[in-house]
Amino acid sequence: MTAVIKTHLPVFVVAAPLFVSFLLSPMARRFGWVQSLVVGVQGLGLLLAVYLAGMILKSSGVPIIYSMGGWPAPWGIELWTGSLGAFFLLVVAGVTLPISLYAVNNLSDEVGDATRSTRFFVLYLLLAGVLAGMALTNDLFNIFVLVEVATISCCGLVSARRGPNAAKAAFNYLILATLGSGLILGGIGLVYMITGNLNMGFAGIALNGVWQDYPHVVWMAMSFFLVGFGVKAALFPLHVWLPDAHSTAPTPASAILSGLAVKGYIICLVKILFGVFEVHLLDVFRLDQILVLLGMLAILAGSILALAQGELKRRLAFSTVAQVGYIVLGFGLMNIKGVAGTLFYLASHAVIKSTLFLAAGALISATGKTHVKDFAGVGRKMPITMGVFSIASLGLVGIPLFSGFVGKWYLLLGSLEVGNLTAAGVIGIGSVLCAIYLFPIIRTAYFEPAPEDDWQDPGVPQRLALVMLGIAVIGLGVLPGPLLQLAQKAAADLLIIP
Amino acid sequence: MKILLGKVLINYPYFAAVILFAIGSATVLTRSNLFKKLIGINIMESAIFLMFIAAGSRRDGVVPILHMDDSLRPYINPLPSALMLTGIVVSVSVTAFALALIVRLYRFYGTTDAKRMSDIRNGVAKE
Repeated sequence: MTAVIKTHLPVFVVAAPLFVSFLLSPMARRFGWVQSLVVGVQGLGLLLAVYLAGMILKSSGVPIIYSMGGWPAPWGIELWTGSLGAFFLLVVAGVTLPISLYAVNNLSDEVGDATRSTRFFVLYLLLAGVLAGMALTNDLFNIFVLVEVATISCCGLVSARRGPNAAKAAFNYLILATLGSGLILGGIGLVYMITGNLNMGFAGIALNGVWQDYPHVVWMAMSFFLVGFGVKAALFPLHVWLPDAHSTAPTPASAILSGLAVKGYIICLVKILFGVFEVHLLDVFRLDQILVLLGMLAILAGSILALAQGELKRRLAFSTVAQVGYIVLGFGLMNIKGVAGTLFYLASHAVIKSTLFLAAGALISATGKTHVKDFAGVGRKMPITMGVFSIASLGLVGIPLFSGFVGKWYLLLGSLEVGNLTAAGVIGIGSVLCAIYLFPIIRTAYFEPAPEDDWQDPGVPQRLALVMLGIAVIGLGVLPGPLLQLAQKAAADLLIIP
Repeated sequence: MKILLGKVLINYPYFAAVILFAIGSATVLTRSNLFKKLIGINIMESAIFLMFIAAGSRRDGVVPILHMDDSLRPYINPLPSALMLTGIVVSVSVTAFALALIVRLYRFYGTTDAKRMSDIRNGVAKE
């Protein structure tokens, strides 16, 4: 019995949230059950993800391959739990659990009554399951389907709030994201036309043999993927939809969108670039330099635009644009240190940005204010919320002993290893700009006199969620050990270094 | 030149796909009417479906269903057609969702034009 469960573990991790999400809508009348089911399935997912990651770590990166329906690889669809998959699965499970905990009994203001909140949870679990699927899938067309489901559930989450602003943001997001999906599907079609395979491993092998005959097709497919996923992941010049969408969404939705959904697309892009085209082709087509350049642009532009924003959630949303730049830059470095560092940075940013958005949501719903200068004296009235917000800000800036530092340190080492001093400089400037746009909020909150209003920390589940995330930010910074090891294995797998 | 023209003529479905794709994405990016944007998205997706189907088809190919008598005749590759069924389902659901959003926006603004919507919104902000 345990053996059966063990072999089906990868598919269970993906299917469980999807299955539960469809059970929820008829249960809307018993909203308590809905909430406990959501938190329960997320908790189970976290346990399984930890178990899978432990297994991968123990076997030093030997992947667990699961063929759907028992059909072997070139014909059937594979779920490939390698070190990259286990790593991202762990990140997804670790961040979705506190976010769903935060949403418990807390949606009535932003989303509405039990029926609407249940619909919100349906979309939320759908997104969580799809992100887990993105971590494990090894099939090009599967990626397209997952990306589409993720897009629709993201847009649904953005439009969950009543009113025209949310609908406008969701519509713009939907149109641009569908344009991106079209490009991704075109890229998949081109790869299928020259390789005859949809399995990424087999497509990679076939492409290795034939790419010299079709250099233009390879170029076109690469750029289709880069632009398509770039739109969805809000890579700098293509980020226009992100600030509206992420700042108008309800708090838990902004947290999962900024923290995880954006990264899911980046993981898919990386899987395709490194898994199908492989490192030497990326080298031939100079994609490493393009990625580094786009990353640097995104860091500078995102940080400067974030500085210009007065609304707290918009500032955080633009900060996500900058952080996506770090992640893309790291993949462009193409050495173990850079790629491992960027993977770790991806994980730490997922935790930090969810924390910041949840804390910001708690601040906004307690005070009813949205501008960064309005939070004078909040630090004393809402000690837990503001404390966790400060911890996460320190982490995002990259102060030692907080999780952002480890990732940024490895990114710096990686860029020095390839001799790219400009990239190293931009990473440093990005950190300084990040301090400039986050620290004034903390200063206002602690060192300015508080008004007489009665502001309070949010309820118990929300506090628990915030404290869990805060501990994770510090924990990853003090003891990066196992996660960093997993990231290094994943980097070695991506770069095909034994 | 003659060879190039011949290639284009033989691969005319791809040529059509490229033209449709350009029309679709230009419509999405330049039109401010939300319905026109949505139509543009649908044209663009049709272009990609056409490209996929063309990749799977072959001249004089038959339906890939096995009969005893004509099993030796060439048949088309069924995989791209099957994939595009999924693609069409996805595109229909995106369209439905976008239409629902347009209805919600129209109820509030009384227009389906993105420019007029932002005018109205800015006007509200000034008051």
